[in-house]
Amino acid sequence: MAKLTIDDLKKIKEEYKEKTHLREGGYRVKITVHMGTCGLAAGSREIMDSLLDEIQKANVTDIIVTTSGCAGLCSREPMVTIEMMGEPPVKYGDLTDEKIRKIFREHVLEGKIVEEYAIVRGCETSY
Amino acid sequence: MDKIRSNIMLCGGTGCIASGSLKARDALVEELKKHDLADEITVTLTGCNGFCAQGPIMIVYPEDIFYEKITSDNIPLLVEEHFVKGRPVEKFMYKEPEKKSAVPIMNEIPFFKHQVLRALRNKGLIDPEKIEEYIARDGYMAAAKALTEMTPGDIVEVMKDSGLRGRGGAGFPTGLKWEFCARSQGNLKYILCNGDEGDPGAFMDRSVMEADPHVVLEGMIIAAKAIGASRGYIYVRAEYPLAVERLQKAIDQANEYGLLGENILGTGFNLDIELYLGAGAFVCGEETALMRSIEGKRGMPIPRPPFPAQKGLWEKPTVLNNVETYANIPQIILNGADWFKSLGTEKSTGTKVFALTGAVNNIGLIEVPMGIPLRTIIFDIGGGIKKGRIFKAVQLGGPSGGCIPEDHLETPVTYEDIMNTGAIVGSGGMVVMDDSNCMVNVARFFLDFTTDESCGKCSPCRIGTKVMKDKLVDITEGRGKEEDIELLEDLAHDIISTSLCGLGQTAPNPVLTTIKYFRQEYEEHIRQGWCKAGVCTKLSTFYIDEEACKGCTLCARSCPQQAITGEKKKPHHINQELCIKCRTCYEKCKFGAVKVGPVNMFEKKDKEVKV
Amino acid sequence: MSGNVLVVDDEPVVLKSCDRILTPEGFTVKGASSVKEAMGLLQNGDFDIVITDLKMPEMGGIDLIRWIKEQNPATGIVVITGYPSQETIKDALHLGIIDYLPKPFSPALLIDVASKAVSFVKSKGVEEIKTEEHDVSEKANEIKNVIDTNRNRPGGLIPVLQQIQEILGYLPPAVLRLIARGLNIPVSEVHGVVSFYSFFTMKPKGKHNIRVCLGTACYVKRSSEILAKLKDLLGIEEQEITEDKKFSLETVRCLGACGLAPVVVVDHDIHGAVDPVKVSEMIREYD
Repeated sequence: MAKLTIDDLKKIKEEYKEKTHLREGGYRVKITVHMGTCGLAAGSREIMDSLLDEIQKANVTDIIVTTSGCAGLCSREPMVTIEMMGEPPVKYGDLTDEKIRKIFREHVLEGKIVEEYAIVRGCETSY
Repeated sequence: MDKIRSNIMLCGGTGCIASGSLKARDALVEELKKHDLADEITVTLTGCNGFCAQGPIMIVYPEDIFYEKITSDNIPLLVEEHFVKGRPVEKFMYKEPEKKSAVPIMNEIPFFKHQVLRALRNKGLIDPEKIEEYIARDGYMAAAKALTEMTPGDIVEVMKDSGLRGRGGAGFPTGLKWEFCARSQGNLKYILCNGDEGDPGAFMDRSVMEADPHVVLEGMIIAAKAIGASRGYIYVRAEYPLAVERLQKAIDQANEYGLLGENILGTGFNLDIELYLGAGAFVCGEETALMRSIEGKRGMPIPRPPFPAQKGLWEKPTVLNNVETYANIPQIILNGADWFKSLGTEKSTGTKVFALTGAVNNIGLIEVPMGIPLRTIIFDIGGGIKKGRIFKAVQLGGPSGGCIPEDHLETPVTYEDIMNTGAIVGSGGMVVMDDSNCMVNVARFFLDFTTDESCGKCSPCRIGTKVMKDKLVDITEGRGKEEDIELLEDLAHDIISTSLCGLGQTAPNPVLTTIKYFRQEYEEHIRQGWCKAGVCTKLSTFYIDEEACKGCTLCARSCPQQAITGEKKKPHHINQELCIKCRTCYEKCKFGAVKVGPVNMFEKKDKEVKV
Repeated sequence: MSGNVLVVDDEPVVLKSCDRILTPEGFTVKGASSVKEAMGLLQNGDFDIVITDLKMPEMGGIDLIRWIKEQNPATGIVVITGYPSQETIKDALHLGIIDYLPKPFSPALLIDVASKAVSFVKSKGVEEIKTEEHDVSEKANEIKNVIDTNRNRPGGLIPVLQQIQEILGYLPPAVLRLIARGLNIPVSEVHGVVSFYSFFTMKPKGKHNIRVCLGTACYVKRSSEILAKLKDLLGIEEQEITEDKKFSLETVRCLGACGLAPVVVVDHDIHGAVDPVKVSEMIREYD
């Protein structure tokens, strides 16, 4: 390892912030992937992978992804819930790889709800 | 790199490791792999979280969920529920004493809610063995600022303005100490860190060194620049193996990255830091003794002046600060003196870390703004006294400190206010005692400690503390005389005014404060032969109050001597001839039916009958 | 045979021939043509033996021998003399030299005497740390290494003691003497430091070392009862070892794990919230 200069120090800081930002609290969007037995059977695992891939590509750090159990609407799985800070959550159902990528780009990044895939707006939240 | 969606921070402090956190970590990594989650969820072993009694502690980010007492057996269920199905598991969450509901979010738990983290700001948030994680949280930015934008004079000014006082015990203003040393002539100066945390019942510095070793190095770099030092030592107790290991790793990493050694950050500034292991002598917490110890000699204090700022280690100008003091410094440099002063009181600025232990519900490490009342610490953060017991005293400052009673609990925690009670803030050990503790015995305990640890150089300390201890042993064993209390007080004042170093000058404090606030207990021991707490076995008789006894048989079953007899649901009885006064029944009884009487209570009765 | 040899003689030819004879045998040889030069070399280097002439201008060999015995008594000394008058040899023998070489000497004699002297010096170090309780000679090299690497480190005594105690488990008196000689400090000072710091012990430890914490938090939670129970159970006092050498018992002044009070440490395992009633179970785990 070469000796660092102050600029190197700043670079390391930015690079590692990326990896540790989850611990800092404060986020703009929370995406919950429903991963109950029904969700997993319907392919929520793949949805999670696509989602993480999109976040990685978009290089944004203000989004957190969590999982939850069955959302109680098993026939519409895979489902995700997207909560933008200060807005009611939106649930999307019958997802595919393509749909979740579109939802991510339009809803999460640009703030436009993708009406055609949305099931419901506003409902219970979980921690 | 795959996108990480969750960070699991598992506490790897000494306490949690002892409770099994390493096994839990291995199980966790294994289980995540099994569920194919290893790529999106990271597991990090952090330093001490502080809530040691609830360990092993696990915190899950970004949700901020706090789990306690996580062992490897719990891991499969936890991973399945929380990480696969997304259902945080209530069973493993913190529950407030006497309330059933779980508190999932860490910062909503009362223990954490009242705290303000400055010295401990990275606690549990970084992997202490990765310098990059420290850098990600502004690490070494203050050192960079001090080395490039500030003159030694600027640094000293900021430190003086911040009002930061030494966190090791005496509370001497840090900026002033640096100024003295900066003015001393000499081309070789030393910067030292005191990690010889000797006060029993204190583990603040251990926690900082384990959880955030780089902050100590960064603080030392800044101090070195201020005083013009080029060599440094960190003196750590050998009893802290984990702290030693992490500090050594941190020093190696910093050297590799050019943050220590020659030409730091390309600024032309040089500083070498070496670790030096203490060898178990309490007196080495005293600065001149610590320096003798680094020189390889017996750690005995020498009279001051000359002060170490002029003639310290190997007779060179030297500054010694404590671990927690260093942990405060980078933030002061980055955020300014006003930011630091925004908390605390006028003369006691900033925050202070305390090790809260003893008879409280929540045991652990806390950081609070100076000026907070003792009551808030003990009853809000500490969650009050364990069920069925009554608060008696809080001991501050270890063997140099004193015991503060209930009616002084509104005292704000500042250097001056605590000093007025007869105790000292000290390094931050705070041991809470309930009514099952005997204050005379507590005083004896501390004198036992100081006589043992006195280095023997000056006679007031070597002989004086021994005489005091012998008197206290007499009192706790039933040989006390009426005049002993005055003799103790008298001797205490002589020792305070004539001892060479801080150890002797403060050694009588535990005795003086217990006499001041609990004189009645001393008198009960001497006059009535009665230790009401049942600690001094030669001055107590255990008996069962027939009216309170429900006949649950618990005491009879746990008595190692089979000294308790009685039928179920009928009052029990202790056979005094068999009783060895082990207190087991007293502690086991759920109804408070086991009582403590004076040593001769049954003899007296016999006599009365005869009369 | 390997070994560091210093030859001191005012005749350059003697230095040269010693070098020529001993170097092929595996010795590392340095020469000094005066006592002053020899002292300088001895201060900065580590020599197993010194082969010195007795009659030299300015300071003589006897002065050098006296100086070496004060500075580093472990160094072996061999005397060369062209005038084997009984008196000077007697003086030298009195100062504790190993052997002497009468001038002129044959190469074979030189090699023989040098080899014997070097192995005597080396074995002496090992022999001395055979102690009453243990034969620690197998660790002799490790110990010597620790001393050698810290020889010139300022304040090196405490780290040396710590490392050697780590190797042996305790510090027997013979080892203290070895350290004193190696670091060039009086044994009394080494002993003073060992007895001052509670971390150091001159008694061997059991197979399992039990440490009971007596810090305030542990005291408040009655660690003294645990200690009493352990003493009773093992039949030993603090700082003692059981007859079968299985357990030794110590007390410590706070391990900083107050959240788990009362704490008992067995070897490297920390046991928290120890119940005095269950102490015997805990010990049984290690039996």
